[in-house]
Amino acid sequence: MTITTDLSSILGSENVTDAEEVLKQYSRDQSFVQPRSPDVIARVSTPEQVQKVVRYANTTNTPIVPFSSGLNMHGATIPKEGGIVLDLSGMNSIISIDTDNWNAIIEPGVTVSWLQDELAKHQLRAMLPFGVHPKRSALTSLLERDPSLASASFEYGNELIMDTELVLPTGELFRTGLWSAGGIPGSPMGPGRAMLNRMWTGAQGTLGILTKMNLKVEYLPRKRKIFMLPFDSFPEAMEPLRMIQRKEIGHECFIVNNFNLASMLCSEWSVPEELPCTKIESREFETLREKLPEWMLMVCSNGGPRLPEEKIAYEEEALQEICSMTHTQLYDGGQMDELMLQNLLRPWDILKKFNYRGSVHDVSFKTTLKKIPGYQKVVQEITNKYHYPLRDIGVYILPVERGRAYHIEADFHCDPDNPEEVEQIRAMWLEVSEQFLDEGAFFDRPYGAWSDMMYSRAGTYTQKLKEIKKELDPNNILNPGHLCF
Amino acid sequence: MTDKKKKVIQKKLPREVYNALKNVVGEQWIYEQRSVVETYSKLSIEGGSFIKKHDKDPHVLPACVVLPSSTKETQAIVKICNRYQVPFIPFTNGQVFCNPTNEQPTLIIHFSRMNSIIRIDTQNMCATLEPYVDYGQLQAEAMKRGLWNGGTPLATTICKLASQFAFAGLWQTDLKYGLFSRNIVSVKMVLPDGEILTTGSRSISRAGDFWEYGPGPDLLGLQRSGLGTNGIVTEITVKLHAWVGDETFPDIPAGRPSLFDVHDAKYDNPPAPLKNHKLFWIEFENFETQIKAMREIAHSGIAIGLNAPGVYSAFYCSQTQAMTVERCEKKFFPDWNCYVILAGTTSEKQISYEEKVLRQIIDEVGGTFLSETHKPEVLEALKPWNYDCIRHSTGYRMNRKFYANAWLPVGPLDSAFICQREWQKALDMFGECDITDRGGADDTPFVYALQRGHFCLFETDNYPDPVLPDDIRKAQGYGLYGAFTIPKNDMGPMLMAFTNVEPFTSMTPEAGPNCKILMRKLRKVFDPNSVAAPGRQVFTEDEWQQFPTEIKEALNKMRSLNDMPPVEY
Repeated sequence: MTITTDLSSILGSENVTDAEEVLKQYSRDQSFVQPRSPDVIARVSTPEQVQKVVRYANTTNTPIVPFSSGLNMHGATIPKEGGIVLDLSGMNSIISIDTDNWNAIIEPGVTVSWLQDELAKHQLRAMLPFGVHPKRSALTSLLERDPSLASASFEYGNELIMDTELVLPTGELFRTGLWSAGGIPGSPMGPGRAMLNRMWTGAQGTLGILTKMNLKVEYLPRKRKIFMLPFDSFPEAMEPLRMIQRKEIGHECFIVNNFNLASMLCSEWSVPEELPCTKIESREFETLREKLPEWMLMVCSNGGPRLPEEKIAYEEEALQEICSMTHTQLYDGGQMDELMLQNLLRPWDILKKFNYRGSVHDVSFKTTLKKIPGYQKVVQEITNKYHYPLRDIGVYILPVERGRAYHIEADFHCDPDNPEEVEQIRAMWLEVSEQFLDEGAFFDRPYGAWSDMMYSRAGTYTQKLKEIKKELDPNNILNPGHLCF
Repeated sequence: MTDKKKKVIQKKLPREVYNALKNVVGEQWIYEQRSVVETYSKLSIEGGSFIKKHDKDPHVLPACVVLPSSTKETQAIVKICNRYQVPFIPFTNGQVFCNPTNEQPTLIIHFSRMNSIIRIDTQNMCATLEPYVDYGQLQAEAMKRGLWNGGTPLATTICKLASQFAFAGLWQTDLKYGLFSRNIVSVKMVLPDGEILTTGSRSISRAGDFWEYGPGPDLLGLQRSGLGTNGIVTEITVKLHAWVGDETFPDIPAGRPSLFDVHDAKYDNPPAPLKNHKLFWIEFENFETQIKAMREIAHSGIAIGLNAPGVYSAFYCSQTQAMTVERCEKKFFPDWNCYVILAGTTSEKQISYEEKVLRQIIDEVGGTFLSETHKPEVLEALKPWNYDCIRHSTGYRMNRKFYANAWLPVGPLDSAFICQREWQKALDMFGECDITDRGGADDTPFVYALQRGHFCLFETDNYPDPVLPDDIRKAQGYGLYGAFTIPKNDMGPMLMAFTNVEPFTSMTPEAGPNCKILMRKLRKVFDPNSVAAPGRQVFTEDEWQQFPTEIKEALNKMRSLNDMPPVEY
């Protein structure tokens, strides 16, 4: 008997394949993580099937890699030790949308674009992250702590997971939140009062396989207004940014540099279906990035469900005061306003940036505002060394919880068909990551090479994670080789 | 039944353990004198400890009390406990969850010496505290800097934030800021095995202390609400938020005694409204209208706090127990009401806008604002809330006999109706301890709207006379009954005041499912020797086997009252 025949008897042969061309598709993503083929692909459509496969894998010590959309972009679903790729994309129901309590129960195969479309029918919205692929699993995006564009708002942009249903590494079904107490979901606390769901976040499928999630959704604003503040250098933006956060203006607030903004605006490029993609030269992009300010701070005021114009008016007045105090002029975005507003709800136009060289390798981490200029210096030194043009770095800066922390993404572009270039960018990316870490960058989602860098420094935290993994997954079958496991 | 002749013999730690502990903290910070350990045996609002006192149960007395001054000393103490298999209980104020949990000689680790605010980071809006720092202390310092921690429990401002970490923490301003458990950046903990764990960005030395998740899977959520079983918090970093209210609060006399018919006028000066804040009280015709209005307000995006206290205002705002009872009997406070706290964080115009939205909602849904023309005497009586909605500092306290039990289920807003119905059913079944038990049955349960109304918390309490053990037992019955009624009605238990109830809410076969399996595995990781408040949150198979038969029978009786099958756990 082989794994394929065993799994076929569990799931039906139509849901299991070990065809080489299919395995190859699951062996790689656009990251620098070394490709490796799984032994078999198993497609499941119910939690019971997930349980059966997990129990089977425990009896044969076969690794399982949970897979929803494959659009992680950081190598989290590459099967480092082969085994079964458990494709959850067929579990794709929006089970319910609760319009009274503003939450929605989804399965792992539900994409962000579909979810947003369905919620809009009820005048609701999901809080999505900047640069999420429209086909990315909404459940996985939340589970992997992709920070929402509204992260600046303490109440609307964070802690979006309510309840979860998951299969433990030994095959038992388990629920967190209110769901753990009885029959219905509706609160993130549980079992008891613990926010236990957080243990599975940022875990890259190593501690359990989520089969359902109840997530918070919010009202779809009837009126919104976006404000843009241009800056020639990042330090100039720091004080206005800090003041805006202290005044709690806007739900969405973030900064992009001219590379990223030009990518979003470029009409010659489209959002790639798959990543990496073919590079496309664009004169329009070049013109745009020359023309646009170096840095652009975006603030979006969301009118409330009632009297929306009046809410926008008092926020705008407060923002104007800050502009006046900091000698900042608002930027007249013209038609750009509409595009940006659209991107706050469906934030994937930034993925057009992939057209520049075909693949993008970000260094994404958390830090504090004061430290950000220090990272700029590091980048300058290292990119000089590798002769990488500074202007070819895309930057996205997101204040979290009114500026208590900042999420940073610095992108390096690379032609995946040019092995020499790949090797050079990889080396530079690694060096930047290490230097950033030395400067105090915190890689809270330690994908790929970042995991060794982080866990070798995290002492007891690393040790306890290993002990938990051993207790929960005694046969080490769930996504082995990732994180510190 | 109480045996007046029975003597309670205090257990002692073996001398080598005592000497080892003495070497850590010094002779002046270790106590096993009867007069001292007695004060650690009766908790202020925990019925179980009072019953043990009435029953002259020797297990209520700790064997020894130590007072460490640092994380290092705490770690050394915990390592000694592991070496000699001595159970320990972390202790701050001694309100709940501080009694010995089994029959072995138990050590109390009291943190009153660790009472410093280590730092307030105004740039990154967080503060790092030792375990004995309280809300009043933190707010006094943070508000001077234009910041605050986002809430205060209704209990008192002397609650310690590190203790609140141990059971989630409920605030009056949860509508905007969420529970305290949402407002933690990191912890430094001495784990039950003696290791020191730091969480979030603090786990990496050069990163700083600003980020709550990771690296990778998040262990902070797991540690929260551990009731002292997951380890001891020796430093906690909490989030701070923009504060636009007064920089200092008036120095109001604190410590109003809760007496039957005696009060001191010095406590009776209600404060003026807070700067840049506005508090509204609204009365409704019925429960349905109240809940409908609360949903609309929560969804409108206005306000920082939205709660329905019902009859509980009688306790908060009365000068004596007699006045509380009179006001309950005469229904001085409206049965169906809520209060809304507005804050002008962005500008003064924010308050004007939010007030307009609030009035629009009440016009549509129905309801009447308490005002100079509508029940001004009630509005006047509610004035202590002007400050107490932010910081419990007016000197008013809950004028009631004793707080012995609470149902605190969590669920969607509509669960308020279920909570009321089930509380009513329980009152019919068990009978009242006091007229105050009717709060939540004849009127609204205390409803806290959390996180813009995504979910809510409901509270109904028993306040029996602490000198009447039978009344306390009755309250205990409510607690055990509720432990099963609440999940049976699809609500989640947040906190049950009787500590012995706690493990059964997560160890029942219905919980999870498979919660028991997971919780036991996690306990094994953090507390391999079962020394941290053993049996309080998770009990092992061995511990369950040692449970007295009468407890198992009592639990199954409560299950049968809820039409649930008996279990063997």
